[in-house]
Amino acid sequence: MVPMNAVLLLSFLLFALGVAGVLIRRNALIILMCAELMLNAANLNLIAFARHSGTPAGQAFALLVMGLAAAEVAIGLAIVVALYRKKDTVQVDDINLLKG
Amino acid sequence: MEAILSRSATYLFLLFGFIALGGAASMVFARNAVHSVIGFLVAMLAVAACYLTLQAEFLGVAQILVYAGGIVVLFLFVVMLVELTKFKEKRLFQIQTPWAVATVLVAVAAFGGVFWKTLFGPAAVEPLTLRPELAEGLKVAEQNAQALSRGLYADFLLPFEILSVILLVALVGAVVLAKTERV
Repeated sequence: MVPMNAVLLLSFLLFALGVAGVLIRRNALIILMCAELMLNAANLNLIAFARHSGTPAGQAFALLVMGLAAAEVAIGLAIVVALYRKKDTVQVDDINLLKG
Repeated sequence: MEAILSRSATYLFLLFGFIALGGAASMVFARNAVHSVIGFLVAMLAVAACYLTLQAEFLGVAQILVYAGGIVVLFLFVVMLVELTKFKEKRLFQIQTPWAVATVLVAVAAFGGVFWKTLFGPAAVEPLTLRPELAEGLKVAEQNAQALSRGLYADFLLPFEILSVILLVALVGAVVLAKTERV
């Protein structure tokens, strides 16, 4: 059985990389991918705890998260395409319509 | 035999964990967006392999189908659609990058503190027990797809149905958002 600590560490490192990517990158596409990475890190934890406790609940929840991630990507990419058509950019700091 | 299998699962988990971290790092720091997508693909496939070593076979396959088969292709389409070459000369990172890195490092330190305490601190009073009645009859490790489907369709039927509605709404919303001319 894979030790729990290794799973938790991997999951945390993936999540930290995702947070760092969302905070530092300017490209909206890469920000979306980093959000996906964070969801995957959470999924890894859910599956590890499901394995640990021997119940299928965590895995069912991970499957729901996966479906939600797919919905999020569809909407996010549609927004990116619409943004590119309107503003001709995908760099998030060029989009400052609401800036006071 | 059991011990060898168990140990090889751990080694495989570590191997694919390192691959996932490498893919994720190359995704975050790559200059070219296509390279980023490829790093994302590597990370997702490695995470799917980690699911397999955690004996979540169905989820491992679903991860490959959903991410490597669907989401990565979608990302590649949009990368091709959006002409990224004209952004190439501009800077790669936001102006708040030092602050963001400092924040992430604080989070890493906090997690490291918790980790240290868990490993070397006093043991918990009683071990964590989760509702064992959810697992009656079916073990997650043995009949993965059956156990998962029972969890999904018996215990989590309402969230599952809500998710299907969310997917439908997202589908319609994506079409409306990406449509060019108003009807």
